[in-house]
Amino acid sequence: MTMSKQEFLQSAGIDTQTVEFWLEQQWLLPEPTPAGPSFSDREIARARFIVDLKSTFQVNDEAIDVILHLVDQIHGLRYAIAQLRSCIPRPSAESSRDGNR
Amino acid sequence: MDGRREDDRLARDQEEILRDPYEVLGVDRTASSAELQKAYRKLAKALHPDLNPGDKSAEDKFKEVGAAYELLSDTEKRARFDSGEIDASGAERPQRRYYRDFATGDDGHPYTSASGFADFADTNDALAELLRRAQHARANRQGQDLHYGMSIDFVEWNTGASKRLTLPDGSTLDVTIPPGFIEGQTLRLKGKGAPGFGTGGPGDALIEVEVLPDPRFAREGDNILLEMPISLAEAVLGGEIRVPTPAGEVIMSVPRGSNTGTTLRLKGKGAPRRGGGSGDELVKLKIILPRAPDPELEAFVSNWAKGKAFNPREGVSP
Repeated sequence: MTMSKQEFLQSAGIDTQTVEFWLEQQWLLPEPTPAGPSFSDREIARARFIVDLKSTFQVNDEAIDVILHLVDQIHGLRYAIAQLRSCIPRPSAESSRDGNR
Repeated sequence: MDGRREDDRLARDQEEILRDPYEVLGVDRTASSAELQKAYRKLAKALHPDLNPGDKSAEDKFKEVGAAYELLSDTEKRARFDSGEIDASGAERPQRRYYRDFATGDDGHPYTSASGFADFADTNDALAELLRRAQHARANRQGQDLHYGMSIDFVEWNTGASKRLTLPDGSTLDVTIPPGFIEGQTLRLKGKGAPGFGTGGPGDALIEVEVLPDPRFAREGDNILLEMPISLAEAVLGGEIRVPTPAGEVIMSVPRGSNTGTTLRLKGKGAPRRGGGSGDELVKLKIILPRAPDPELEAFVSNWAKGKAFNPREGVSP
């Protein structure tokens, strides 16, 4: 589901000033459209993660930058691993029996 | 049998939700609110699903810790729990979707970074090829360059022009063509292409500019050719005539005794040249007699002995 900035602010429970800062920091990257940025559930989930980091874990803005960068790298790696896994042929029942022999 | 397994699972879930919140947070029943908060933060940091994207159990544990803290951090609820009035289930939180649920999908998205494995993708083996594919699917890609075409006339080519291009989606693009634009070159408007992916930024608009031919001028490389009619009097006696160039009219001197085919060079009035400067305009003269036969001219020529003696076809035909 995609939504406007206003709808996003309501769903994520953050104010305009906050989201402007996050956009500036590129912590959120809504899809650019001719009608303005389009936010999705992914942005909401990411915003809640940032809220957790800031409010619950008391992480400062500099550290959020680092954390998001590392988390984004982990997802990149997870995706790469998933891609690799999908290319490795799964052993069939027969060949695994052979292996046990 | 499946039904019983389902019942078992529900019972287990129930049991987990109802675990003693003090036990969940690992604190004494006498713990202060500061101690509770400290214990909660420590556990939440370790268990947050977005900090453990591959651990399926993290979500339940995180939820349990959150619920326990929510109950115990509320003095009134904590007192009611301690006195046995409510159980631990009173603080259950609503379902929530974590960022990790969106981050591992197959569709490319702007956040994921390939910088954790870009070096592995840079080698020359089968594994690298697969990684490169993952890299491209996930990278913050720049938007596509969009190609457009437009045409300008000779004058615009020389003087430069500002033109408005209407794009297929109805939007417009203002294009400034500098004077002396080299034909065949493509104008690049930075950031005016398709929107990018994530931090990739938009692509560029590439505009191929065609120079429309001008019926007055012919082209020969950087030079432009113009055939210029002159009168017999201008040819014989010389004089100043006005000559069109792409940059506007100029006054040109026709030397005395000019002929049809005499070519005069207007330096720098030709087409812009790669590497700077311009070609020349070559003005080829063409004598045009008065349209109607002129008795005075006829009388003069019939009495013009030297003119009759001159053979313009010498060496061409006997």
